[in-house]
Amino acid sequence: MKRAAPVPITGVGCLCAAGMNLQQCMDSLFRGTRHAAPPTRFETSHPVNYPVFEVHADIPTTALHHGVELGRTSRLAVAAAIQAVQDARWIPEQLRSRRVGVCMGTTVGSAMNSEEFYRQYRQAEDPDMDPVIRFLAGNPATAVARELGLTGPCQTVVNACSSGTDAVGLGAFWIRSGICDVVIAGGADELCRVTYNGFISLMISDDSPCRPFDRDRKGLNLGEGAAVLVLESDQTSQARMKKARSFVLGYGSASDAYHLTAPRPDGSGLRRAISEALNHCGRSAEEVAFVNAHGTGTPDNDRVECRILQEVLPGVPFFSTKGYTGHALGAAGALEAAFTVACLEQGRIPQSVGFATKDPELPACPVKHPTTVTGDIAISESLAFGGQNAVVIFGKEGA
Amino acid sequence: MAIIGVGVVGGFGCGMTDLAGALTQGGAAVKTVSVKTSKGMVSQPALLADPSSLERFVPKRAVRRIDHFSRLALLAAHLALEDAGKLHAERQKMGLVVATGYGATRTTFAFLDSVINDGDPYASPTLFSNSVHNAAAGHLSILLGVTGPCLTVSQFDMSVASSLLSAWQWLDEERADTVLLGGVDEYCEVLGYCRHRLPGCQSAVIGEGAAFFVLSRDAETSPPYGFISDLQIGNHWGRELSTPHDALLLLDACSSEYRQYIRGDSRVASYSPIYGSLPVGMAFDMAIASLSLKEGKVFPSPKAVGNPFRLNIIEQEQDLIIPQFCCVKLTENGQFAVVTLARR
Repeated sequence: MKRAAPVPITGVGCLCAAGMNLQQCMDSLFRGTRHAAPPTRFETSHPVNYPVFEVHADIPTTALHHGVELGRTSRLAVAAAIQAVQDARWIPEQLRSRRVGVCMGTTVGSAMNSEEFYRQYRQAEDPDMDPVIRFLAGNPATAVARELGLTGPCQTVVNACSSGTDAVGLGAFWIRSGICDVVIAGGADELCRVTYNGFISLMISDDSPCRPFDRDRKGLNLGEGAAVLVLESDQTSQARMKKARSFVLGYGSASDAYHLTAPRPDGSGLRRAISEALNHCGRSAEEVAFVNAHGTGTPDNDRVECRILQEVLPGVPFFSTKGYTGHALGAAGALEAAFTVACLEQGRIPQSVGFATKDPELPACPVKHPTTVTGDIAISESLAFGGQNAVVIFGKEGA
Repeated sequence: MAIIGVGVVGGFGCGMTDLAGALTQGGAAVKTVSVKTSKGMVSQPALLADPSSLERFVPKRAVRRIDHFSRLALLAAHLALEDAGKLHAERQKMGLVVATGYGATRTTFAFLDSVINDGDPYASPTLFSNSVHNAAAGHLSILLGVTGPCLTVSQFDMSVASSLLSAWQWLDEERADTVLLGGVDEYCEVLGYCRHRLPGCQSAVIGEGAAFFVLSRDAETSPPYGFISDLQIGNHWGRELSTPHDALLLLDACSSEYRQYIRGDSRVASYSPIYGSLPVGMAFDMAIASLSLKEGKVFPSPKAVGNPFRLNIIEQEQDLIIPQFCCVKLTENGQFAVVTLARR
């Protein structure tokens, strides 16, 4: 594989149950606080209230399309993008004269699954078409581009739970290849009843706050949110004397070719994705300071992931932030990318909240306390339905 | 990127021979579908695809839990691999990209049926896992043994053009030696209903199907279908599109938008009556452009297209004097894509 040039990250924005911006999120992570609770935005008839990680604050955007307010996923995406653009010290008018692309991951944001509309349709009523218009206007990448007035390519990645990680890796290529001067890359997803019911039906939801890598883990909790990185070319960032917060160094992607909803037991897809990402940037496993793991809290995911981490990156500290954010699906990889950048900057990682008891089946444990880390590069990884594995390597320095 | 294999299934039939036949005849057999409305059933014309030929490649038992959407993708993908002579090739260095506008809508609504009919605690796990947008890519990677990078893109009408960026990336970075890329969308009754209700959607014949391509790096000396030589994608913000003077522009409709944003002297064709109106229609235009490059002729634009805006339409079949084809897509919100296919 060709060696990749580092891509500067000049801005970060994020919002989720852990906080409404990156600083608030990192404060929550290092305090070890989390806010899992039964859903408040919809009702269900399950005998058990499976907890979720909701964003309770208002989402600060009023974007409209054809008079219809954008869907929640797109509003989350736009809000994170605006934060990131401000953090990068761009004003939208400046971006409009440049080649700026948008690469966003999602799952719910791409699904035409309004229950309200469909229930009316089934009853042969004339359903209100606003949910359909909202869906057609709500493609997250397009919504961000429209809101910021951007001219470059848009891509909405729908690789299930790895979408946000893939979006960052793919967006970095647009910079390296010269297609774009700046790329808005990340992911967004909202909590919705459909996915809530879906994950419960698969029996991979925990009825208490999730416990990634713990012996007693029972499954995941869903979450919601969005995160965006502003990627830009060296030439662009240097011309405006904007120092990078961090760099995208490498990206790896591989398929299990095994099962639609379960990871390959031998973890060969994840192993290959990590190896590819390291090769992509010419770095070695020994250089990795820490891993922000996928760590959903499902028995299968954590077993496979932990075994591969121990095999490929023995002794490298790892943690999961799903205990703070829930599993935000298409946004998860982007949120974790944002946290990874912040952890690299701060030289420390948070405790893997929810972990208490070592699983005798797992060869390693995540960090139980906030931990100081040394080293210049870090890994953020995602495993997804469909057998997709995605890994992005971030670095403090470009060289 | 070199195009070394193409596979298609749609309302015109299955495979490139059926596609060529429909192009020569100037149309495909349009069926009628019924949509339930508050005022009773409403009929609509539709070009529907039959994936039953998938049995030629995959045992019936292996696909019994796989939905119509994924079957369309599986069939077109197998046809493309067969066309490229890679049906039994090693797939460790193959990438997979699936583009879709709406995903597996029938399965999405079937999952909602399971929730509404049976209650939240009894929602169907099988329907849920198959309703996820990347389920088709998952089935493809499992049944074909593709272990390279795998991606699903959903960008409505821009899905296909956008997905080409990623195929290019993987080939350029030598992450993959070949990429199996395709577009797929299916008809479902709810979509039919939405088209009935939403303004501006009623006139086109709804379509469904899949078109897949086996792509490789440009090192191929003379690929049978030529090359994807250029890709432009973004928002035009009111500016005229830049297309080569000697290219034939393949449009999905001869609409006023195209009249406004393409050069006045451009030669154009619109083949949408062959495959219908669907978000990944650009994949079918790419397949038709590939076929034209391979066979050395330009197919006439079907008469059903009409020409209210007096575009310079190709009306007669002609030997290939056109060296390149631009598949053009515009959306009402200013997004555009131009995918150029050329012999060299």
